[in-house]
Amino acid sequence: MSPNSASFLPRTAGEWLFSRNHKVVALQYLATSLFFLFVGGFLALLIRWQVAFPGEHLLDPGAYNMAFTMHATIMVFLVITPLLIGAIGNFVTPLQIGAREMAFPWLTSASFWLYFLSGLGLLASFFVPGGAANSGWSAYAPLSSTARYSLAQAGQSLWCLAIFLNGLAAILGAANYITTVVNLRAPGMGLFRLPLTIWSLFITAFLILIAFPVLCVAALLLAADLDLGTAFFDAGRGGQPLLWQHLFWFFGHPEVYILILPAMGIVSDIISVFARKPIFGYRAMVFAMGAIGGLGFLVWGHHMFISGMSIILSATFSFSTLVIAVPSSVKTFNWMATVWRGSLRFELPMLHALAFVSMFVIGGLSGIFMAMTPVDVFVHNTYFIVAHIHYVLFGGSLFGVFAAIAYWFPKITGKMLGNLLGKLHFALTLLFFNTTFFPMHTLGLAGMMRRISDPTKYEHLVALQPLNQFVTLNAVCLGLTQLLFIWNLLRSLRHGRRAGSNPWNANTLEWTVASPPPPENFEKIPMVTHGPYEYSIPGLAADFLPQDQPLAEAAKTH
Amino acid sequence: MFESPFAVTPLLAEVRTSDLWGLPPCVTVGGHQVDRLIVAVFVLTLAVFVAVHAVFLYSLVKFRRREGVAAHHTHGDRRLEIVWTVVPALIFLVLFIAGDRLWFRLRTPPPDGQALDIEVVGEQYDWLIRYPGPDSLLGHADDRLETPVNKIGLDSDDPHSRDDVELFNEIVVPVGRPVHLHLRSRDVIHSFYVPEFRINQDMVPGREIGWVSFTATRTGKFAFVCNQLCGSGHTGMQGTLRVVTEAEYQAWMSQKESAQP
Repeated sequence: MSPNSASFLPRTAGEWLFSRNHKVVALQYLATSLFFLFVGGFLALLIRWQVAFPGEHLLDPGAYNMAFTMHATIMVFLVITPLLIGAIGNFVTPLQIGAREMAFPWLTSASFWLYFLSGLGLLASFFVPGGAANSGWSAYAPLSSTARYSLAQAGQSLWCLAIFLNGLAAILGAANYITTVVNLRAPGMGLFRLPLTIWSLFITAFLILIAFPVLCVAALLLAADLDLGTAFFDAGRGGQPLLWQHLFWFFGHPEVYILILPAMGIVSDIISVFARKPIFGYRAMVFAMGAIGGLGFLVWGHHMFISGMSIILSATFSFSTLVIAVPSSVKTFNWMATVWRGSLRFELPMLHALAFVSMFVIGGLSGIFMAMTPVDVFVHNTYFIVAHIHYVLFGGSLFGVFAAIAYWFPKITGKMLGNLLGKLHFALTLLFFNTTFFPMHTLGLAGMMRRISDPTKYEHLVALQPLNQFVTLNAVCLGLTQLLFIWNLLRSLRHGRRAGSNPWNANTLEWTVASPPPPENFEKIPMVTHGPYEYSIPGLAADFLPQDQPLAEAAKTH
Repeated sequence: MFESPFAVTPLLAEVRTSDLWGLPPCVTVGGHQVDRLIVAVFVLTLAVFVAVHAVFLYSLVKFRRREGVAAHHTHGDRRLEIVWTVVPALIFLVLFIAGDRLWFRLRTPPPDGQALDIEVVGEQYDWLIRYPGPDSLLGHADDRLETPVNKIGLDSDDPHSRDDVELFNEIVVPVGRPVHLHLRSRDVIHSFYVPEFRINQDMVPGREIGWVSFTATRTGKFAFVCNQLCGSGHTGMQGTLRVVTEAEYQAWMSQKESAQP
């Protein structure tokens, strides 16, 4: 067989569309979510342009509300979650645990198509009478649940339907991951020999399984209030507006960890590979992720310190929020200790992973402000929050995605991702990311509210307008820089340098098969003899030791 | 130097503007306490940021790949893990205690009769304001009594409600006197946000929120703005909040009282 015929990559359109192979579905996810990344990014630029140059009347207030509602909805539900879990998770999981497929290939495919449908629903909602949903991605009732308040017609109901389908897709995917990791690990792959990427996806799947059903139900309740005349969230008829916030954030905060944990796992693996050094504190990293996952369900109320919820509850949630900061700190210190005394190679995946750590530190530290109730009262719903969430979701998750794509591109395609363009994209993204989002801390502390379409209507914000314009121009540059990324992907597909099966000299099992891997990954299921982080063992000639190769007797005595 | 977040500010603290990172000037007693906490957290996070990045960048330069130098093979160190679990946990515990104490102090309204009660009702996209009038007591109001002419649902059977003074998008308070706000909403969730007062509180339909109070420390004209998305007119939903001297306040109030029907 020629190397080409052994590749999993489909040759016909039908195979591309209907294959249930986990790697093909992963690429379906990748293509769809990258498309939505640009839709969401374009909406972000519309928002920023309106804020910086309100005199041009680019968006009327109603359209502005739709733009930021759909920007956040798309980025959270159609971009970051599917990129990390649908694309990277589906591709990597069977390969790294030594399996030929996901446990339920049919579910893999079904969850993609449900996700695809939810994306179509959200796109379609722009074109229905009344336009798309306009009550924010958090859709606070009763604004969202009462058409005469929001003036949305079909848009909000379509939003509910899309979110329900999206949640269903995530739940099916999660059941699939958990079963796969529990049942299909290769012989010898004990739980504590799993790469941290797998651990992070495994823990994330549990979060999805607990959090998303609540979201699905909440979306149905909202749709019932809108279209069936119920009054779950209508205070005038015995409902309770805060019920929506509790349901939404009970999902919403674990969702934040769903969006960051996989990136943490991926970054841990990449830093270890390119430091040529075992990850520092492997078990501490696993326990920290487990703690973040568990505590993640006890902190939702910190989104509600000013909501009118009991002030004693607020104090409780302030405590749990500061507790959850501990495992996040532990992870950061372990990444730093992994780099310490390593032999660092600044390849493209490593650059993105290191940027992840640095940006995550900033996002984590700004989070401390919000964890403290009296400070949160002042910064709540200001641009300080906007800065914080983007440091975590863009500076964190999206840099994690860039790292992952650069890292596994050779495995997926058999070609290396262009190095020069890649590094240019990295440098410009890091620069413009910070010049776009760091000043937002200042805007927020100066009292600038989020979700306003014209800051010049407020006396205390007029003086900030030059800073707003600076932010917007940098956001445009940040957006344009992402075209470099797409260009580099397409160019490397065609002209990329051929990658061997293991271009990074990494240990995990996906690097023991051809690039691109054959449809069923492993001809013979590998026998795992040790953990994934045996780099630079003294006394060995090579500075790495793939997981299916026996740990040399000489090394054991060390 | 910053003062301890635990210190109690005397009433009528000296007038000063915040010098931290573009914060608007602070004009309430509670606001100064919040600012002190912000400064404390800021100094702490800045120190951690600098320390972490100094070590991180140093190791990126120092441990870059060099010929003949292999990476140090280690899987971790249990003592280090314990240290960097326990130390942050203790710091966060201190932060929680500092924040929690201030939270309850700020959220304890002044005793009845000691403060000026003002009701603020949000509606798309305006603010309905009610003062207690000469009897210093706000009359009873209830959402269920709402009519198109009685938007806030004032109970006309309550004798205290007859002398109440109603205003539109305008609040005037005397400097130095505690003010106790009663926040309600007629339709969707709004938020009462005054950056210079360090006050930000959602107003939820169906409940009255009665734990927001403040004492202004200097006179001036400010804006109170809606800070929770409330519909297509959200941008621009604001009113003026004037802090005036007690004499000016009395004169203004008696003029308003005599203008009431």
